[in-house]
Amino acid sequence: MLKQTLIATAITGATLGGYALIAPSQAAVQNGAEARGFMLTNADGERVSLRDFKGKTVVLEWHNPGCPFVQKHYNSGNMQQTQAAAKADGVVWLTINSGAAGKQGDLTADEARAMIADQDFNSAHYLFDRDGRVGKAYGAKTTPHMYIIDGTGMLVYQGGIDDKPTANQADIPGARNHVTEALKEIKAGKAVSVASSRPYGCSVKYAS
Amino acid sequence: MNRTMPFPLIQPVALLLALLTMLMPIIPAQAQNAFGGGEPNITAAFELESEAPKPGETVTLALTMSPAPTWHGYWANPGDAGIPATLKWTLPEGVGIGELSYPVPDTLVIGGIMNFIYEEDYALLMPLTLDASIAPGTELPVSVKAEWLACTDEICVPEEDELSFTVIAGDGTVSDDARARFDGWRARLPAPLGNEASYAVSGETIRISIPFPATSEIEEPYFFPLTDGVVDYSAPQTVLRQGDNLVIETGARSIGGVPLQGVLRIGAHQGLSLTARDIGADGFAGLGDGAVAMDGAGSGSALADAGMATFLLAFGGAIIGGLLLNIFPCVFPILSLKAISLAKAGGAESHARRDALAYTAGIVLFCLALGGAMLALRAFGAEIGWGFQLQDPRIIFVLLILFTAIAFNLAGLFELGTVAVGDGLASQSGARGAFWTGALAALVATPCSAPFMATAMGAAIVLPPLAGMLIFVGLGLGLALPFLILGFAPPLRKMMPRPGPWMDTFRRIMSVPMFISVLALAWLLGQQTGNEGLMIGLSGAMIFALFLWWVGRRQQRGAERSWLPAAPALAAAVAALLVLPVAAGGSAGVSAETAGETLASEAFSETRLASLRAEGRPVFAYFTADWCITCKANEAAAVQRQATADAFAGADVAVLKGDWTRRDAEITRYLEEHGRSGVPLYVYYAPGGEAKILPQVLTVDTLTSLVS
Repeated sequence: MLKQTLIATAITGATLGGYALIAPSQAAVQNGAEARGFMLTNADGERVSLRDFKGKTVVLEWHNPGCPFVQKHYNSGNMQQTQAAAKADGVVWLTINSGAAGKQGDLTADEARAMIADQDFNSAHYLFDRDGRVGKAYGAKTTPHMYIIDGTGMLVYQGGIDDKPTANQADIPGARNHVTEALKEIKAGKAVSVASSRPYGCSVKYAS
Repeated sequence: MNRTMPFPLIQPVALLLALLTMLMPIIPAQAQNAFGGGEPNITAAFELESEAPKPGETVTLALTMSPAPTWHGYWANPGDAGIPATLKWTLPEGVGIGELSYPVPDTLVIGGIMNFIYEEDYALLMPLTLDASIAPGTELPVSVKAEWLACTDEICVPEEDELSFTVIAGDGTVSDDARARFDGWRARLPAPLGNEASYAVSGETIRISIPFPATSEIEEPYFFPLTDGVVDYSAPQTVLRQGDNLVIETGARSIGGVPLQGVLRIGAHQGLSLTARDIGADGFAGLGDGAVAMDGAGSGSALADAGMATFLLAFGGAIIGGLLLNIFPCVFPILSLKAISLAKAGGAESHARRDALAYTAGIVLFCLALGGAMLALRAFGAEIGWGFQLQDPRIIFVLLILFTAIAFNLAGLFELGTVAVGDGLASQSGARGAFWTGALAALVATPCSAPFMATAMGAAIVLPPLAGMLIFVGLGLGLALPFLILGFAPPLRKMMPRPGPWMDTFRRIMSVPMFISVLALAWLLGQQTGNEGLMIGLSGAMIFALFLWWVGRRQQRGAERSWLPAAPALAAAVAALLVLPVAAGGSAGVSAETAGETLASEAFSETRLASLRAEGRPVFAYFTADWCITCKANEAAAVQRQATADAFAGADVAVLKGDWTRRDAEITRYLEEHGRSGVPLYVYYAPGGEAKILPQVLTVDTLTSLVS
């Protein structure tokens, strides 16, 4: 009896103490800092590492197919066009889904492949980050949330896809596409003029 | 909520129907789901406070939003994700719409992402102005395209609606119903603080210092940043008190440089809107100097530098305390027994080291369990509304009683009895036995260790959780340290002193620092509650000690149930706690709190003001709030002064006090009529005269010269 009680109190104390010690820290990445490396599985079941694209400009796009703000840019074809233009310039585009299993936008690999074909994605890989580790390391808050890493591995842009925070497709033509503009500037060897903006959209559906 | 609306908010067809049937139009404008119709998840409707707004005047227009269960809408700054509502107006000539006012929002963290939201019905208020040239009776069709985002914890749906309604110019009458409803919404808007706040960023930490009287109460303080990009929304906030300032410490997202607007929550649906100025990184340390933690909401990582020093001191103290415990009468024998067994065993040195580590783990885990239980108790306390705040005189008093008891226990006035537990676990051999010996050393030692454990528990109650837990760890480490050293340094084992009467002498001596702590607490209590509070506190402590003495006498006689007198002792302490003045003015003189009301006043109301003026009496009306530092300073310096009271009494001045601590609707209207959006406001009515608005900063001369 005493033994059980002691064990129970010890476990309670240890759990509480341990919990306080490992308070979650969500350190976002700063522009100009080296982008954090990661390795994730793509829709074809292959392991993809950020290091595979050393020397190339890389775009990270946080995605959730169920989010109306993502749908705004895919149903209008805006995101696919932006991806295609980037691809044509040799930019690697990684679409990342950090939604936890069972949350909105969670896909099986089969469903992801069907979606990619159906919606004509032009991104290089569709990556799963179900435990949210990569999303949290980058401080991804919304879908979409965009990051650009230049050829030297530095983060040079983070923020929204454009400057019209709505779910309305009609707002796309009048908006400034921050990613397109940043990629143009990088290609021309210039500094990115708008290096950060406020991301907008649904919250990333992290597990916790 | 819009089903009870008297004002016609009607789509054109509905308007026609309403006119035809002569029904009282109560048909709410319904929003459309942007994705394929159906009921929206947040229903939106408009309502004007006056059904017949007067040309040349401004009337309040409300956009009422009713989220379905589990759905929420967003504040002006939605947080890490989400979108605030947007309104695109089509207005006829002569009609103007002003800026939106948002009620104080709630926080919602989903997967580590912070959202500033509303889950209950809420109303966004805005002023609607009619040009003076509009003739009464004119019908003014107004239409608006409203877009908003409705979310649950799982999904988001952008919703929109085209709403139109007709404003009919009139005489500006407001029905009592509408007034009450609008007053209810207005009460949830943040009140302008009136004083400028300041902030400084250092590395990834920002400190925001907000003028807020030291004596004013605050519940669930939280700073909602309106300006984006300065504050890391998902970082936990630590709230500290620093004299007449509240210091919010949290994560920074930029180096600052811009004015930081935001809302400070001071209670449920109560807030203060403010702007903080960047005072530069050099000012960062100053914003935390001498600040004291006021709740355990913050995490240890956000501990203030000043708090860090205090905490390191407490941690060091805990280790020393634990160390001292080893030579206490009921711990030392265990330790020396164990040490002797180590020395005798003569087995492998690796076993001795393993046993030492297991013993340490046992003690530390036991201490952590105690700390965890303490934190759980505190969380439970917070849940049922206890605020464990060190500046609360009641907490000081409880600590005073606790330390008095500890001091008298150490001095030998009474004993804590013995805890008898089987040592079956501890007698096991090997690491497991050592582990349980450790846990038991902490447990069995309770009669002696209680004083230090109690001190640690006191600390755990008022410190941030992480710091509180680490205090317990320190205590455990200190307690385990000698055995740990013995395990790793075999030659020392032979140098162990023998248990003896010297341990009791040592214990008696340890009562001296405890009595000094009691003195310090008594001084603190006096500072907070004045002489009367000090007397109540000391009387309570004395009666408590007398009963403990009785307990000690019974113990010496070997009486059964020797603890019986502890019941009246506790009763005396509780009684003293209940009569302790809680909010009495302190003699510290550092806060702006006024010590009692030198200048007697009655509560402000428009009717009382009118009748006093009708009587031909001079009237001085002042408007104040507990959170308003300028108000408190003026009251201390000019209003609540004998000279002012004498002068006003001589001239038979009636004094009306409007307390705007909670946004009282009648006072709000009075303030607005006098061109103010907030407090303070000082108004003097000479007999038969009009309102004379006095300066924001008062002196005794300003006031006495009114009646001389």
